[in-house]
Amino acid sequence: METLIQFGITLAVLTFAYLVGSIIERRHFESLREREARHREFPTVSFETLPEGWRVAASGLAVGSTVVSLDYFKRFLAGLRGIVGGRIRSYEPLLDRARREALLRMTEQAVADGYDAIFNVRLETSRLASSRGDGKGTSGVEMLAFGTAVKLVRSP
Amino acid sequence: MKFKPRAPREGINVSSTHPLREAALLIGGVSAIFATLILVIGWSVDLAVRWIPPELEVHTFGDWAYGLGDPEHEPERLAAEVLAQRLAAHWPEAPYAFQVIVTDHPEANAAALPGGTILVTTGLLRGLQSENELAFVLGHELGHFHGRDHLRGLGRGILYQLTASALFGFSVTAPDVTAFLGNMTARGFDRGQERAADRFGLTLVQARYGHVAGAGGFFERLASGASELDELAAYASTHPASSDRLEDLDDYAAQQGWKRDGELDPWQRSN
Repeated sequence: METLIQFGITLAVLTFAYLVGSIIERRHFESLREREARHREFPTVSFETLPEGWRVAASGLAVGSTVVSLDYFKRFLAGLRGIVGGRIRSYEPLLDRARREALLRMTEQAVADGYDAIFNVRLETSRLASSRGDGKGTSGVEMLAFGTAVKLVRSP
Repeated sequence: MKFKPRAPREGINVSSTHPLREAALLIGGVSAIFATLILVIGWSVDLAVRWIPPELEVHTFGDWAYGLGDPEHEPERLAAEVLAQRLAAHWPEAPYAFQVIVTDHPEANAAALPGGTILVTTGLLRGLQSENELAFVLGHELGHFHGRDHLRGLGRGILYQLTASALFGFSVTAPDVTAFLGNMTARGFDRGQERAADRFGLTLVQARYGHVAGAGGFFERLASGASELDELAAYASTHPASSDRLEDLDDYAAQQGWKRDGELDPWQRSN
């Protein structure tokens, strides 16, 4: 009986996590697509040096970062994956969202500050230690996008 | 070179597999692997147990349990041990020197541990209404030694735990070693083993008392459900289907022509 209750609670939490997680994920992807379309014309490139012909009037650091956490359902699937190996498919959309969100935040900040482009764009990830205190486990990852934002000299 | 604005392409970094499909696949696959593992472990333990001579078992585990259990129950422990040895006298080729240890636990339970040690809980001793009842419970555990089920149960239990630890990385911490081992041993006994142990126990009871009256008293109370002893339920969970077993015992006694009534010996804690 006790086992049954425990099993039921786990199942309920899994279902809840899946449903809520799916809704959040779907909305986030919609938001990402819409914002990406809006900033489509804004160049964010990974060149280290300025492309020929760019004349810079001002520059600054553009940074965008997101911190993502796993939901219970995704963690459960990843746990099973940990036994048999293979692609952890449940994490893929999560990290894709994090990358795109970080890039978008960087772009949006640069646009708001009146820059014309960002070059030397880089992405970095770092793991946040869990609150469990034993040093094991991950409470989430930070996705950091940064680059050099430039204002170009306009020809009169 | 000209900058051509383009929206990021989707579907490269994200698999198109539906998460529920992924879940079903993983759960199904992992369950199948575990089921196979459990079966294979069970079979290999059964095979291995055949190759362990009882002498080796006694040599290894003969006195490991000495001093375990709770000292304040010494009078009951001694009485139960004497009873177990008297019963075992009717199994002359037994390779074990049987000993009983009593552990303080409210749930009524008993277990056969390697090396000839029978673990009995205080909950079981408290609920006794006659010596014959205890004789049958002890006889039943002796039956497990006879069938070597205790090694099977223990072997499986330990291997399951080891496998689980290896797979998931958690370690087993048992605050009470005796209760832990008793629990491990109780797992993995199947109906056939229980039935055989029942019959063996009943044979010993018949040999000692000349009748089998009161032997099933414990199970009768279990089966009737009228008992207020909740603790009995614990015994039922490791020794299942008591009404079936009761019938089987009755049939067996009738078949052997054993008397099913007779005078019951009182259970005395400190004789």
